[in-house]
Amino acid sequence: MRLYDPTSSGPQRTLYRAAAIANLDGRTMGVLENGKLNAVEMLRELAALFEAHHGCTLRAVYSKSNPSAPAPAGVLAQAAAEVDFLITGLGD
Amino acid sequence: MPFETYRIHEVPDDVLAALDYCYEQGWTDGLPVVPPVTDRVEATLAYEGRPPQAVIATHPATGLQLSVHAAAVNAVMAGCLPEYFPVLIAAFEAMDKPQFNFHGSTASTGGSAPLLIVSGPVADDIGMNADVNLFGPGNRANATIGRAVRLILRNVFQMIPGISDKSTQGHPGKYSFCIAERARGNPWPLLCEAQGYPPGVSSVTVFAAGGFYNVENHGGNTPEQILGSVADAMANYGCITLGQSIVILAPEHMRIIADASWSREDAQSYLFARAKRPVEGMRNVGKYRDSEYDKQHDGASHPLVELGQFHRGLWPEDILITMGGGDAGGHSCFVPSWSRGRGSIMQHKPIGVCIDCC
Repeated sequence: MRLYDPTSSGPQRTLYRAAAIANLDGRTMGVLENGKLNAVEMLRELAALFEAHHGCTLRAVYSKSNPSAPAPAGVLAQAAAEVDFLITGLGD
Repeated sequence: MPFETYRIHEVPDDVLAALDYCYEQGWTDGLPVVPPVTDRVEATLAYEGRPPQAVIATHPATGLQLSVHAAAVNAVMAGCLPEYFPVLIAAFEAMDKPQFNFHGSTASTGGSAPLLIVSGPVADDIGMNADVNLFGPGNRANATIGRAVRLILRNVFQMIPGISDKSTQGHPGKYSFCIAERARGNPWPLLCEAQGYPPGVSSVTVFAAGGFYNVENHGGNTPEQILGSVADAMANYGCITLGQSIVILAPEHMRIIADASWSREDAQSYLFARAKRPVEGMRNVGKYRDSEYDKQHDGASHPLVELGQFHRGLWPEDILITMGGGDAGGHSCFVPSWSRGRGSIMQHKPIGVCIDCC
């Protein structure tokens, strides 16, 4: 008996990762909150830890209105131009 | 792409062994599947005019693609007859629209399932059920088309529970959630007509559905009484959001509404105006948010939006309402949208035709 495979046979995507930051000290950071309850508050608390431990500076808080869709391209482009790293969340 | 280039699994010529093989590969929804033998898949492909390698939908987060071929394989596994295939294709074309957000709706802890509502002549053509036991088992077309959706989400898009499907509890519609709109005795224009399709063209509406609520009312004799009980279900604190709604009226309830000459729009407006909770109540259960209230009460708010109240949805058109089910019984239903907010908006597509493909 010959069975067709039911899984995707589409082209493999090549995934890229951003280069790791060698040292967090003194870096600028951004927060991307996804609109979920307490997301801003939680992420600001997390940013405060980076400020305290690494002397980072919170440059900007970005937002997206749909937590389960990618952030608008313009938001990500702006963040990439303005900060060294981005903290994002939250899940449920 | 020639058929011989698709991945083939050679298994012993024994149906039960092939069933077990499918289980071992992780291809099932927990129930046995029909082994996707090549000749059945190829017979299914004959019902779609595009080539097997044509892409129907692309996962927005992973880039995984659903080809016509993969859809046919999973349709066979679900138990679909070849003539059901155009419905399944149209459903995924609708789900592929960005506003449906099928990644979020299928990955979320909210545990939604795509509800398919088929409207128009194709429902009778392929023997769908729009009548007794509408959402229940027993009809091959309803059961297997809905099941094929889930198998595709698992096998092609890898929305696997615990891995990329993070449903807290899910619901039974994740096995299969597909119905036909009842045309017999329906006093309102069918959905396919209301959606603007030419006469004779059927449609499938897809909705990221959070669950199923039976609304029982055997004592009401006016539209206000019947729809009042539906509105109360729509406003329960467990699901009231700015999201959309599906309401399927039982024929007994629809007769009461039609006898009073209420249109679909009358019913939608009545439901929207009354499916609401006071702001204080929303605060008391921890579900009030300024941003959501403001969105509903801003300058573009619907005239029926009431100050100090949080309504379900943004406007009456957020409520899809039609008829379905058996002749006897005062049991309608309300189906809420996935989780919080407006993360997914219902979409529709014509079945088997291309309306705007020039």
